Parts: sequence; C-alpha cells; structure tokens
Amino acid sequence: MNNRVRELRTLLGWSQADLGDKLDVSRQTVNAIETGKYDPSLPLAFKIARLFEMPIESIFTPGEQA
Amino acid sequence: MRAVHKRYLREFFPAMFAYVVLILLSVSWLKSLEGTAPRMIVTLLPVLPIAFVIRAMVRVIRDQDEFERRVDLEAIAIGGAVGGFGFFTYGMLLNAKVIVPPSAESVAIWVLPALMGSFGLAKCALGWYYRAR
Repeated sequence: MNNRVRELRTLLGWSQADLGDKLDVSRQTVNAIETGKYDPSLPLAFKIARLFEMPIESIFTPGEQA
Repeated sequence: MRAVHKRYLREFFPAMFAYVVLILLSVSWLKSLEGTAPRMIVTLLPVLPIAFVIRAMVRVIRDQDEFERRVDLEAIAIGGAVGGFGFFTYGMLLNAKVIVPPSAESVAIWVLPALMGSFGLAKCALGWYYRAR
C-alpha cells in the first residue's frame, strides 16, 4: 500500500514526533508507515485521514500487491 | 519516552531489584535451612518477582501502539523459535554425548533467560530492519 503521510506531514510542518503525539503512536510507528514498512490498521488509517481532513482513499492507495 | 514505556520501566526495575535481593537471600538461607517445605518456599521466593516482570511485559505489549505490538510479537515468535532451535540442537549434542552434560537443573534454569535473550536479539534485529531505508 502506498501513502502520502510524509508529504502531508511535511506540508503542515510537523515532525514525525509531532504526528506521533497527535495520533497517540510512537515516532517509530510514524516512520514505519511513511516508509511503507508497515500498513496501519483501518482504525489508525481513519484517524490519520481525520487528522489531515482528507478522505482515506486520497491518503492511502493500493500498491503493486493489491 | 511514551507513558506506556515509562510505566513498564517503573514496573520492571523494582521487580528485578526484588529478584536480585531475594535470590541472594534465598541462596544464603538455603545453606542452613532444613525440611522440604521450608526449603521449597525459600527456593521459590525469587520466582515471584519474575512473575511481576512477565506481568509488566504483558501489560506493555497490550498497551503500546499497534506497530510496537507487532514488532514485539514478531520478536517473541522469532526469539521463541530460535531459542527452541538452540535448545533442540543442544539436546541433540548432549544425546550424542559429544559435549559434557551439565546438571538437569542448570539446563532448566537457563530456559527462561535464553528465551528472553533470543527475544531481545530478535527485537534489536527487527528494530534495525524497520528503521533501515
């Protein structure tokens, strides 16, 4: 799965730690999502979408395996 | 450090300190203590704090975020398999009488530390894997 989390986060001028605090997850978790090493659960993906005020499908898109 | 990990350290270190104190106390007490029941109680005293260490580990695994939990559970799975493989290999060598057999109690005592050690190594490797890129 591909995502635009890093792009959206940097647009808002947030660090990974800032985003982690807002989502109540660790900085390592944010990094793993941004680098595509970890696909978040549906509840966390919705939380991210709500935080960026965007539809979930405009942040997360199917990757090559989908 | 996140609150869940601070709580883990607050629970882990006192339990380990209690273990060290009780193991020293237990070993010295057992030298002079007689009777099966009293010896059993004194021998098992240091086990109690280890149960609290396991409780702290279970609580941190349950309460941390989903990615941290995944890393820990992967590390437990890999560490358990590697630790089990190590003991299996060791058992085969003992069975073939290729190495000098230790006492049964020393082997049993090393099971938990070996599993914890292999879990720790697996967690380090996974941490490196997820950070790399």
